[in-house]
Amino acid sequence: MKTNLAKANNKKLKVVQINGGHNILKKLNSMGIFEGSWIEKVVSYEHGPIIVKVMNSRLAIGRGMAEKIMVEEI
Amino acid sequence: MKIVLVGNPNVGKSVVFSYLTGYTAISSNYPGTTVDILKGKTRLCNKECEVVDVPGCYSLEGESVAEKVASEIIKSNDYDVIFNVIDSNNLERNLLLTLELFELGKPIVIIATKTDIAKNKGIDIDYDKLSDVLDVKIFPVVATAGIGFNFLEREISTFLNAPELPLPKIQIPPDITEKWKIIGEITLKVQKIYHKHPSFLEKLEEITTTPTTAIPLAFILIITSFYLIRFIGEGIINYIFDPLFNNYYMPIVDRFSSLFNEGFLKNIIFSKNMTPLEGFSVLTTGIYVPFVVVLPYVFAFYLILSILEDIGYLPRLAVILDRLSHKIGLHGYGSIPIIMGLGCKVPGVFSLRILESNREKIIAASLLFLISPCMPQSAMIFAILSKYPLVYTVIVFIYIFGVGISASYVLNKMLKGKADDLFVEIPPYHKPVFKNLVFKMRLRITQFLFDAVPFVMGGILLINILDIFSILDLLSKYFAPVLNKIFSLPAQTSSIVMLGFLKKDVAITLLAPFNLSLKEIMVSCFFLVTYMPCLASIFVLLKELGKKITFYVIVFNLLISLIFTFIFSQSLRLFF
Repeated sequence: MKTNLAKANNKKLKVVQINGGHNILKKLNSMGIFEGSWIEKVVSYEHGPIIVKVMNSRLAIGRGMAEKIMVEEI
Repeated sequence: MKIVLVGNPNVGKSVVFSYLTGYTAISSNYPGTTVDILKGKTRLCNKECEVVDVPGCYSLEGESVAEKVASEIIKSNDYDVIFNVIDSNNLERNLLLTLELFELGKPIVIIATKTDIAKNKGIDIDYDKLSDVLDVKIFPVVATAGIGFNFLEREISTFLNAPELPLPKIQIPPDITEKWKIIGEITLKVQKIYHKHPSFLEKLEEITTTPTTAIPLAFILIITSFYLIRFIGEGIINYIFDPLFNNYYMPIVDRFSSLFNEGFLKNIIFSKNMTPLEGFSVLTTGIYVPFVVVLPYVFAFYLILSILEDIGYLPRLAVILDRLSHKIGLHGYGSIPIIMGLGCKVPGVFSLRILESNREKIIAASLLFLISPCMPQSAMIFAILSKYPLVYTVIVFIYIFGVGISASYVLNKMLKGKADDLFVEIPPYHKPVFKNLVFKMRLRITQFLFDAVPFVMGGILLINILDIFSILDLLSKYFAPVLNKIFSLPAQTSSIVMLGFLKKDVAITLLAPFNLSLKEIMVSCFFLVTYMPCLASIFVLLKELGKKITFYVIVFNLLISLIFTFIFSQSLRLFF
């Protein structure tokens, strides 16, 4: 099922689309989040940031940005 | 020979730098400490080498301040060799930058750090194989303990002595997704991850990031830290610096001043009143304020902060405070200067550096001055209101916080744009390394001494001159009716307001002899805390953000303070 990273319930997620401008895309790409990459949602603060595990590192993403990352729950 | 040290943020680059050069670059366990570029000299293979510590970046195409600076240096071509520092715990993510560096066609050596931590976590990397695959020399080291550096120096010397340095050979696709694909394949070949039971630090990571436990723990940690800072700072003042000043320094100044004849020159140097904190002598107050009053707190504050930094706690705190910060136009990282400001404004202003946009710096600076009474101020508010029930102290603090929050809420609406989204790597916890801590404290204290002290002393000299020409009295006179009419405060308090500029907590205690009513004390406390940042912080702000922004921040500050002191005074009238 397709949803955004902020809303996703599962832990294991596949990034399918990034609805952001050039800047956001670059930021995310350089940290290893790109279309087709696998990420793990670790912690979610209510109305706050989301922590994901990408490759072997943890990354905190503000909610606004997380809503732009479309993921597939598998 | 010029060497650039390039790597992701928080990989231990600064530690490698200090081992190579003996110079003490600052290093912390949070991403993005190095925005200033550090340069150092070293001798390798009998050649004089210049080492440049490039700010940490995840990619050469990055958009942050640090990343732009980094990519500018790296693309300038003005160097001979790249030392690419990679974190063994994050091999895969680190290799993106490595591949981008390969594309530049420059000689390159890889230094893999934190190999001990990786091993403990069950990450097994075959460095020889990685070296084969990438066709480049790799040196694994434990930077914080200095292990592997002798070997590194020898090997690097041999490498640099070769008549022609080998260039990277593997083909790199231009597209970033393609690069990630190659990196995935390489990592699969050279790295094995074994499952290990989570260590104590990993369990601690867990409970300090899960909201239900993280939020109360953060609260406890902040309170404890402030208690410790106050304890250490006050201890140093009362038992070391203040006695030193009074017993050894003052007699010398006294004797020195008796060499001068009464007159203009003597007034300039020693002012009319030589007692520290009462007069504006550059040799008494000018030494007392920065060294005896501020330095101990700065030291205590940096000590606690450096420990929290090295452990890796600050990015987690930023996450916890992110939602709250967004409402006032900052992302979670913006709360760090504010927290520092609760200790002392001076390090608070310094830490504005970690924010990227000017918009965020302005909001954070304004909030820093409005919301947070510094450690000594808070203590004095407690002291002067101690004979009344605690509720009045609480009201004063809540009012200060409330006004600060509302003011930045307004500022957020006024300024164009929107708060950036938080986007920060959460590093694993590390045990703080004593040597590293000493390095860092030394660098920060020196920075404080060289950056802030001359400004404070210069400022005191300036005020003394204004005082000698009676400009200060004139200002006081103009100010008295304002205080009286608007805030219903006695006219004598205007001299305290002037003094408060110099030393705000002392100003609060000086209210005591005036026999003020409870209401008057509460109003004066609020006004004295908010009306203007203290001299030291103004001068540091000037240095960090420039004249224009400093001016706006101070005017905004004064305006808000006047309006809300008036409201406070009027609304308290309803109850008293």
